[in-house]
Amino acid sequence: MTAHHASPSVPPHRYVIIGNGVAGNQAAEGLRSRDPEGLVTIITNNRLLFYNRYLLPLLFRSHKDWRELQSHSADYYQKHRIRVIRDVRVTAVDAGRRQVMLAHKEPITYDTLLVATGGRSYLPEELADSRHLLNSFGTYEQAMAVKKALPDRGTVVMLGGDMIGLDLARTLLSIDCRVVLVTHETTFWPHQVTPEVRMEFLNVLRDMGMDVIDGDAAGGVTAIEPGTAGLPARRVVFRQGGDVYGDVVMPFYGLVPSVEFMMGSGTDIERGILVGTNLRTNDNHIFAAGDVCQIWSEQEHAYRFYYGYQNVRAMGAVAASNMTGGNEHFAITQNGSLRRDGHGHIDSSFWAYD
Amino acid sequence: MSIMERPVFVDDKLREVRQSGRLEYRSRSLPTWCPGCGYFSIVEGVTYACNEMGIAKEQAVVVSGIGCSSRFPFFVDLFGFHTLHGRVLPVATGVKTANDKLTVIAVGGDGDGFAIGGGHISHAAKRNVDITYLLFDNGIYGLTKGQTSPLSAVGLRTSTSPFDNPEQPLNPLMMVLAYGASWVGQAYAGRPDHLREMITKAIAHRGFSYLHILSPCVTFDKTSKTYVNLGLRVRELPSGHDATDLMAALRQARDQESLAIGLYYQESRPTLNATFEQLVAKAGGGR
Amino acid sequence: MKATDIQIALCGSAGDGTIAAGDILRNAVARAGYRVISFDVYPPEIRGFGKCISRVRITTEQSYALKRQSDVFVSLDDSHAIPHVGEVRPDGAVIFESQPVATVAEGHHISGHIHPGHIPYGIPLRELSEKSTGGGRSRNLVVLGYIAGLLGLAAEHFLSIIEKKFTKQGSEVVSRNQAGFHAGFQAGAATFKLDNVFFTPLGAPHGSEQVVMLSGNAAVAQGCMDAHLDTFFGYPITPATSIMERLAVALPKRGARLLQTEDEISAMAASIGAGFAGARAATATSGPGLALMSEMIGLATMAEVPCVVFVSQRGGPSTGMPTKTEQSDLNAALYGSPGDSQHIVIAPTNVEGCYRCAGKAFEMAERYQTPVIVLLDLYLSNRYETVTLAVSGPPFNLNANKPRPRLEAGEVYKRYALTDDGISPRAIPGDAGCMHVITGLEHNELGRPSDQEEMHAAMSRKRHDKLLGALQHPDFTVSKRFGDPGRVKVGLLSWGSTFGECLEAMFMAQAEGIPCAAMKVVMLAPFPVQPVADFMADCDVVLVPECNYEGQFAHLVQGILAKPVVRLSRVPGSPMPVEAILGEVRRLARGAVTAIAS
Repeated sequence: MTAHHASPSVPPHRYVIIGNGVAGNQAAEGLRSRDPEGLVTIITNNRLLFYNRYLLPLLFRSHKDWRELQSHSADYYQKHRIRVIRDVRVTAVDAGRRQVMLAHKEPITYDTLLVATGGRSYLPEELADSRHLLNSFGTYEQAMAVKKALPDRGTVVMLGGDMIGLDLARTLLSIDCRVVLVTHETTFWPHQVTPEVRMEFLNVLRDMGMDVIDGDAAGGVTAIEPGTAGLPARRVVFRQGGDVYGDVVMPFYGLVPSVEFMMGSGTDIERGILVGTNLRTNDNHIFAAGDVCQIWSEQEHAYRFYYGYQNVRAMGAVAASNMTGGNEHFAITQNGSLRRDGHGHIDSSFWAYD
Repeated sequence: MSIMERPVFVDDKLREVRQSGRLEYRSRSLPTWCPGCGYFSIVEGVTYACNEMGIAKEQAVVVSGIGCSSRFPFFVDLFGFHTLHGRVLPVATGVKTANDKLTVIAVGGDGDGFAIGGGHISHAAKRNVDITYLLFDNGIYGLTKGQTSPLSAVGLRTSTSPFDNPEQPLNPLMMVLAYGASWVGQAYAGRPDHLREMITKAIAHRGFSYLHILSPCVTFDKTSKTYVNLGLRVRELPSGHDATDLMAALRQARDQESLAIGLYYQESRPTLNATFEQLVAKAGGGR
Repeated sequence: MKATDIQIALCGSAGDGTIAAGDILRNAVARAGYRVISFDVYPPEIRGFGKCISRVRITTEQSYALKRQSDVFVSLDDSHAIPHVGEVRPDGAVIFESQPVATVAEGHHISGHIHPGHIPYGIPLRELSEKSTGGGRSRNLVVLGYIAGLLGLAAEHFLSIIEKKFTKQGSEVVSRNQAGFHAGFQAGAATFKLDNVFFTPLGAPHGSEQVVMLSGNAAVAQGCMDAHLDTFFGYPITPATSIMERLAVALPKRGARLLQTEDEISAMAASIGAGFAGARAATATSGPGLALMSEMIGLATMAEVPCVVFVSQRGGPSTGMPTKTEQSDLNAALYGSPGDSQHIVIAPTNVEGCYRCAGKAFEMAERYQTPVIVLLDLYLSNRYETVTLAVSGPPFNLNANKPRPRLEAGEVYKRYALTDDGISPRAIPGDAGCMHVITGLEHNELGRPSDQEEMHAAMSRKRHDKLLGALQHPDFTVSKRFGDPGRVKVGLLSWGSTFGECLEAMFMAQAEGIPCAAMKVVMLAPFPVQPVADFMADCDVVLVPECNYEGQFAHLVQGILAKPVVRLSRVPGSPMPVEAILGEVRRLARGAVTAIAS
């Protein structure tokens, strides 16, 4: 069943996974079961073990310790001999030497590498200087920082409003927070919506209680400023004049793949790492899976991203199979249309997880 | 020279001693030494010195090690500490450190001082602890019935060197001079008048005074350090000897054939207790 | 609110400032009012790259031992820290350098070794140090700042301790280190704290007492000073040297005297000489020095001279392991001198006990006219604890001599007069009319040598019986029982530094529902037979944990009480792990009877 047979004379195969998300952990699990002797290492810049990021909005409903979010206990990693090197940064991949270089100047040698670093939230360049006044929502720590900064029935200004943000927004509304949505072309990302559908669902959001400001009409956001005394902590300034205040300002402009460290590795990159449906890159020893990769679509004759918990998890499984000699191909499992639930509220297939 | 030159009548001597007051310093215990032992004259010397100097009996402490000589404290009516073999100097140092006012006299034999206790002399000398060390040199271990000592003569036959002692004896005076003792003298038990003057001077010296006292063992040494033998070998230091000249002292000490008695060397430098007080002043302290 | 109980371990190489950081940490939190117990481990070499670990346990109420697992573990040198990375509790934090100066060989960075159950904090310590101080040498201060910032400790106490510590090196060094601390503090405060450890705010301190941070040896020195030690004679030896070093500073300030002697024999001899002359006198040493002193201690026993000997044990026999702790000099302390030479031997169980035992030792030496050995060990000498001192002044009797009746005219003073309690009124040089000679020879009441059979029997009895009074010495805990009253399954009988671990193990066993009690025996000679017998009678099984191979205390107990005990004798060179004791308690609780049989 595996390509790498356990034998005392053959050193165990070294699998290195960069990224501690759904794809990476799914792959680690698959690798362990398919190659019991292999050395499986996950490298991540996160401090925590893998946890379900889809649960982060729930932090606003009730107090949750990070331990309650973790998908697996520490024992799981010890039992399955999955080493997780946390709180480290990958600076480069030396494909020639088959080494991952870490920021603390340590190489980690691999026989087969899986890049599953996902994406990080995109920030338009004009807001780069305001970064310190914005709250991200990628990690548990960031979510808790938002929670700390947000007073009871406080106001959150959401810039853009991708589906990650809207997932949070519906939770915030349910706990009587005010949500101001400043639209952008990335609103509803990664759904690609027609102007009609966009209009329809902005109205759905209004019906749900959201304040929707047409950001494009206001010329876009130019700056974030600290609020003045007596007013909320942040002021969002529009190009066409006018402003809006909020306690927290959060950018939700979609994700960009985290691939910088792969530059110079010789791996083909467009926006993400380019792979076939078998998730192989142009380097025999390197695979990619999850939000970081663009998969060749025969149908569209282009490389495209596939988002969603289930898609990403499927990629992890395919990668694990193919890294151990299998020959599987990724097929889309989630379709990507916006819809309404029984209450008439917005719903998305991307919000499904299990 | 005095004893041998004119007859002494016991009655006269007793009267003289009683009148002097120095019997006050003798204890009720009679010395247990062998008749004729040179150490009797050392007891005489110490009581004479205490009397001469007017030392209150409760202000003097005699510390001793182990050996014939170290029984000494029992024979004087002073405070005494009969300690362990070889340890007279560190104990005496402790006594003096505890109480500046005390006159501390350390006594011990040649084995006690230069064999087992040899490591302590240099340190007592270097510290210039204000005590007087009377070393009773009979060149043999007497209390254990006649074994070789580090000051035994070459060729001395003892129970532990039955084929005669092959080892050259130490030169105690050169050692003590080299250690930096601030007062170094030698006396001979067979010249008690000179001896008692030397003891008096040694006690009067402020700092570490070392008096080497040659004394025969009348029981176990019939050949080398006898009254006759020593009497012939003992001489006085040259009349012009300069006691401030260390090199001159060393030259005199080097001659172990002809043994010079008298004050070899003397210097004045701060005593251990004085340095303690300097330290207290430096630390800004005080009782 | 839950009481504070946080243990922080710092691990680095000699030269990383590991111990210095630990020292600042424990002093700062003590100043903040927390209770501290702390122990450093460092290599025997002065220079080089040996491993240094400083462990600091910070609590609301005084704790008795270090925990096996720290809550926060800091690596300043991964090569030394990697083998220790497991000694962190589940969900505990591991703080490490994320920007080492040189390339790290694969597998040699700690990040790859941190257990999945621990939380990693990779911090650019060197970079923060360089940016804030212009050099990389303040990594230790940066990491301290980081911990303080992360855990929410106020910076003020750290800053004042840093100033105090470095003020001799000039204001530039002070401000450099404070800048390093600040940089770390800001980074720590900005970090989301994932650990569930909290510093609980403290109530106001009691006005009637002051809390100070002392090492065991510092507490000994403080006890000596508060008992008005007059003279100290010593010879350097690890781990006792710092007692002498501290007294060398403190004694002259009070007009008292310290002499470094040529060897331990002289140190003991001079102490006895000074004791004879009426001074409060002491020396301090370790096992090898005790061996050299033993003949002298016998002299003091025979001549009935008060003197105090502090013995800080280390790994033995012979030169042994000078920088490792052990409790293997009990036999030497009890029986080291030839002849029937019983003297008082007391062993404190914590740093506060070091202070009390030190002061009380002088009372006892004086009262019972005997040498008193105070048995410490490296773990006790070098560990730090917060100690509560009475503001009202030293709790020691400064003159414990038996009053001497006036002599009638013509009466001869008897130094060794036979009395009901065996204690003879003692005169000292300077006391008019009381001239006498003391001796190591057997003697009569006057102190004159005597080898008469009856006299030797009477004097032997006197020398032993007079010590029994020490078992009732005022304000001194000879032995003490803790834990469940009445009948228990397992009793822990312990002495010296290991008692803290025993107490912690007892608390844990009690929490598990095991009926359990512990007794500390502070006075080892004369032995408190009755209290120990009573305790043992209450226990289904008695466990004696101690850090020596032969079970020396177990042997003593069994010999005196003729009752079996279970031994837990270990020589790890480090303190007995609480878990080892607890494991044994559990095992014994399961089948107390079989345990005795085996």
